[in-house]
Amino acid sequence: MSIRLTDISKRFGAFTALTDINLTARPGEFLALLGPSGSGKTTLLRIIAGLEFPERGTVHFEGSDITGLSVAERRIGFVFQQYALFKHMTVAENIGFGLSVRPRRERPSRRAIRARAQELLDLVQLGDLGNRLPAQLSGGQRQRVALARALAVDPTLLLLDEPFGALDAKVRKELRHWLRGFHDRVGLTSIFVTHDQGEALEVADRVVVMSNGAIEQIGTPAEVYDAPANAFVFDFVGESNRIPVTAADGKAIFRGSALDVDANGVRGPGELFFRPHDARIGSVDEVGIDAIVSLVRPREGRVRVESAIDGVSGPIELDVAPDAAPTPGQAIRIVPTRARVFADRIAGARAA
Amino acid sequence: MTRGAASTPLARAALLGIALAFLGVFLVAPLVAVFAEALSKGFAAYGAALIERDALSAVRLTLLVAAISVPLNIVFGLAASWAIAKFDFRGKSVLITLIDLPFSVSPVVSGLIYVLLFGAQGWFGPWLRAHDVEIIFAVPGLVLATMFITFPFVARELIPLMQEQGRDDEEAALSLGASGWQTFRRVTLPNIRWGLLYGVLLCNARAMGEFGAVSVVSGHIRGKTNTMPLHVEILYNEYNFAAAFAVASLLALLALVTLTLKSILEWRYGIHGRTGY
Ligand SMILES: Nc1ncnc2c1ncn2[C@@H]1O[C@H](COP(=O)(O)OP(=O)(O)OP(=O)(O)O)[C@@H](O)[C@H]1O
Ligand SMILES: [Mg+2]
Repeated sequence: MSIRLTDISKRFGAFTALTDINLTARPGEFLALLGPSGSGKTTLLRIIAGLEFPERGTVHFEGSDITGLSVAERRIGFVFQQYALFKHMTVAENIGFGLSVRPRRERPSRRAIRARAQELLDLVQLGDLGNRLPAQLSGGQRQRVALARALAVDPTLLLLDEPFGALDAKVRKELRHWLRGFHDRVGLTSIFVTHDQGEALEVADRVVVMSNGAIEQIGTPAEVYDAPANAFVFDFVGESNRIPVTAADGKAIFRGSALDVDANGVRGPGELFFRPHDARIGSVDEVGIDAIVSLVRPREGRVRVESAIDGVSGPIELDVAPDAAPTPGQAIRIVPTRARVFADRIAGARAA
Repeated sequence: MTRGAASTPLARAALLGIALAFLGVFLVAPLVAVFAEALSKGFAAYGAALIERDALSAVRLTLLVAAISVPLNIVFGLAASWAIAKFDFRGKSVLITLIDLPFSVSPVVSGLIYVLLFGAQGWFGPWLRAHDVEIIFAVPGLVLATMFITFPFVARELIPLMQEQGRDDEEAALSLGASGWQTFRRVTLPNIRWGLLYGVLLCNARAMGEFGAVSVVSGHIRGKTNTMPLHVEILYNEYNFAAAFAVASLLALLALVTLTLKSILEWRYGIHGRTGY
């Protein structure tokens, strides 16, 4: 199912939670809403679900305006962050709930509901746990029950709020791959919320990066990672270093030396961003950024070098080959190989 | 008092002794006295006092008042706590404060409010008389006064419970296509059933045992507007001690049953309270 959000705004009292959100999801797409805590991800997901209603803007499903429809009328599957399983019902009863509350004419027989629940239990690989109570399941199992319950009503859209939030790292990873495979098999449109950029990049078709109730960028994982639209996205998606520079004559200038980095159209105060794997340690006759090594640690086949630049806050990190690793205390010259300059809005505003 | 002092065996024994002594003097002894006095003229007299016409009528009236006011309280308690816990609206804190009002007002004052409103000289008195409606010195007055006194019980029990449970379960049910009523009956009610039962139990005990407020609106008409507590007082004032204590023993029995059920509920409820996820 295709979804289109147009100019959605949402306020809670005097607080503006979302401003002018425009977003489309194509049929069968797997979208991630990514952003820091409080950026409005859950609010947006709840608006799509019909659990919250926007002050302005419209929601279209398959081209028809459903902005005013309640959650029950939208036929979506919603998986809550805390699972929200009904604790007095068995796992099978939980899964069958959506079918059992249908009007009598449309309601399947008890046996049919039970059979459907079993089918879904098998699908989420919990085949023989149907008679347990939710309290008797592990977190990962509860998560799958919540998913099966949402799927039982044959939704055309699956919405998941931090579906792996409460799980440990290993289970998280397993479950998200399982979910991705599942999504591909079932062919639903799915939208999930996460604040973990690794998760979003790893499984989503497209990532919607949000901050302060607005969308910063929408793109494929490669786009948001390799071509961040702005400083926020660069900083939030993936690891990055940030160094204040000045842009002049189309180049980024750090302490008088013009780096081999395009200024990206910026003039005046700006910030240079690069990822730890997009810089190397250069020789003394190269143009670069001088730093003192503070820490050297092995890291996944590479070596992570933390260094400090006089007058710049925060460590500058780079990944180098083990045989090129410096030692702590050593002076190095950092040469960014791929970097971006963004205007420093705060410094720019001060200067203006 | 420091923890060290409290944990020496001597201090512990002393504290326990004081607590038990208080319990003995203020709870157990009166309870024993009630039953002893009630049976002082033998079982036959005890039985006769209970099946006497006015006594039976008092028991019946008490049951009737409870049977009307407790269900109404359940409805009010559910509605109020549902609204407070699951919705945001203006005046919420005022509502919460108002629910506590009966706890802070003397029962006699509560009764007087109704006399002021519905009594012969009250605001609605003339209108009521013109339409032949009796409230004060009649059963409706007793029910109203009892409801006023007891209305916090169910709500107070449910509000924190519902607030703690949040809205997720209800929203999940709605998202699965359940109607409001289905959501309430199949999701909310099972989640709060122990708390609700607990509130009903306390509400019932108070409804049957209330004296002050009912006393004001009752008019003490024997066999007509006397509930059990009022009947006890009348018998007592007539120096009919054995009969007074016989009826009182029924109330004491009610208290014991309530206490037992309450403990059972607390035990179950405690277990339920802890499995939060
Ligand atoms: N019911 C509400 N009343 C008032 N403010 C709210 C309400 N719901 C959300 N907000 C506010 O709206 C903002 C966005 O909240 P939201 O839950 O959408 O954030 P989020 O991106 O999901 O964050 P997190 O990652 O922490 O879950 C927050 O500042 C939050 O305090
Ligand atoms: Mg959230």
